[in-house]
Amino acid sequence: MRVEYINPFVEAAYNIMTEVLQTEVERKDLYLKKTTQPVMGVAALVGLAGDVEGRVLIDMSQDSAIKIASTMNGEKLTSMDELAKATITELANMITAQAVTKLFDLGFKFDLTPPSIITGENMSVSDANVEALIVPLEMPQGLVEINVAIRERA
Amino acid sequence: MKHVSLKETKDQKGQTRIDFKMVTFTLAGKDYGIDIMKVKEISKASKFTFVPNAAPFVKGVYNLRGDIISVIDMRIFFNLKAEETEGDTENMIILRLDSHVISVIVDSIDKVVGISSEAIQPPHPLFGDINIKYISGVVENEGSLYVILDVERILGDEEPGDGRAQESRSTPSISSDAPFEARESTVPTTASAVKEDVDIGFIEETLITFLSFYSSPVNQEWIRSRFSSWKKQKGEDVQLGNVQDAEAYLSPFPSPFSGNYWNSDYAEKVTSFLPADNTGNFYVWNPGCESGYESYSVACLVKNRLPDVHLRIIAHDNDLIRISTAPGLVVNQASLGGLYDNFLTNGSRGKQFNKEIKDAILFEYHDITHDNTLPKLDMVVMRDTVSYIVPDKQQHIFNTLEEVMKPGGLLILGAHEQPINPGAWERLENSGVVAYKKK
Repeated sequence: MRVEYINPFVEAAYNIMTEVLQTEVERKDLYLKKTTQPVMGVAALVGLAGDVEGRVLIDMSQDSAIKIASTMNGEKLTSMDELAKATITELANMITAQAVTKLFDLGFKFDLTPPSIITGENMSVSDANVEALIVPLEMPQGLVEINVAIRERA
Repeated sequence: MKHVSLKETKDQKGQTRIDFKMVTFTLAGKDYGIDIMKVKEISKASKFTFVPNAAPFVKGVYNLRGDIISVIDMRIFFNLKAEETEGDTENMIILRLDSHVISVIVDSIDKVVGISSEAIQPPHPLFGDINIKYISGVVENEGSLYVILDVERILGDEEPGDGRAQESRSTPSISSDAPFEARESTVPTTASAVKEDVDIGFIEETLITFLSFYSSPVNQEWIRSRFSSWKKQKGEDVQLGNVQDAEAYLSPFPSPFSGNYWNSDYAEKVTSFLPADNTGNFYVWNPGCESGYESYSVACLVKNRLPDVHLRIIAHDNDLIRISTAPGLVVNQASLGGLYDNFLTNGSRGKQFNKEIKDAILFEYHDITHDNTLPKLDMVVMRDTVSYIVPDKQQHIFNTLEEVMKPGGLLILGAHEQPINPGAWERLENSGVVAYKKK
């Protein structure tokens, strides 16, 4: 993954999480994962197109997702209901949009697809021939991984 | 299983000079050791083929990948209580003795322990369970006392046939030792060669531990030649006890101008391998580019020689910190030499490479042991990179190269590296600088 793309995603994820949750967010070490990776339980997906092709996946456990949605809504949610899903989807949208804005300032042009959310147990994701950059963020609500797999258009 | 052996030893490295390694195991709850040089491998097996009318300690024969070897149960051999392993697989140590390969069954196999041979003490005459003449010594290591068995005596030469072993169990000192003395005198010549192999083996293991440097056909020639100079320098104490030693051992390994811009002389020699004219696309892969010095050097030398090509350098590294600085790398030196002058501009933070060069290089945070998506390549610069990758991944990378490089494409490896499959490459040399051309 192109070096210039990394920072915008890390910064955007960190800024948005800190802002919406109003809490301490700890950045952990970034790393690369091979193509097929397990998904923790709730995955919000945003596609990217333009100079590049790929996608951003915001991945967390169901428990963390409910807690994060509760915090963002200012009310206690108990299950992964419509409101919780909409909230996580919006979170993914905010993070990706801010990253894309930062990238545009650096001269890269990306387009976004509308976010979608996938929930379930024992899921994994694979992307043909692209390795994914994982940005792990630890917060009181749990671990959230921003999983970015993009490549230059051939 | 064999690999367990050398790795385990590093724990002990710091304390003493390690010149003797043994595989340790237990028999009836006590610890024993066998010289690792006698051990071919370790394996688990069950269902041995029973041999009628054999001595009770002969468990049967076993088919080890096509070779039929006899299996001796050490516990019965030494009159020890066998642990109940009914229906279970047995732990076997397969021994390569002077005359034959034989397998022994033990209760459990522990690990490999490295010790100094000076620490071995002669067996005490009062030793009970096992006949003293089968014991070559006793050694203490990390709180455990190991009895080192002399397997040549126990199982070597004569078949561990009925007579001898039976004797050994009942009457302690009957059989003649003459044949063993004769054999011992022949050992030293081969032993020194073997010792050197063992020493190099340990060094290779240590380099993996301390510096993730993997010995393979890519660099083995260098490791061996380096060993002789290292031995001259260090005398008998050749082992690498710590990271500093390992770094010292590898200090002559890096290629010229690692972590810096190539000087004009070196760049010129590399340039001489490039085709004289070429237009259209020119793709270069530069895995392990670190902070990008190499990538910029290559970009400048290719652009200098082939100004009309559309140059694209794909530079990869899995060290995020280093590669993050690559796109904005500044030139601190007053002058880098004529080669670079045309490609530098003054930026806000000092001299930088111009847009033409910067646009030619794509720095990517990427682990090359994962899948590599690459265009057809004209050139690959991969100096001192594969040596730091596990050997089966090295193979994977060379396979990738053979797949994606154009015929006639140029491969630059580290100064002390060579391709895994030399048949696929034509070796070119220009006053000390070597390149490989794809056939």
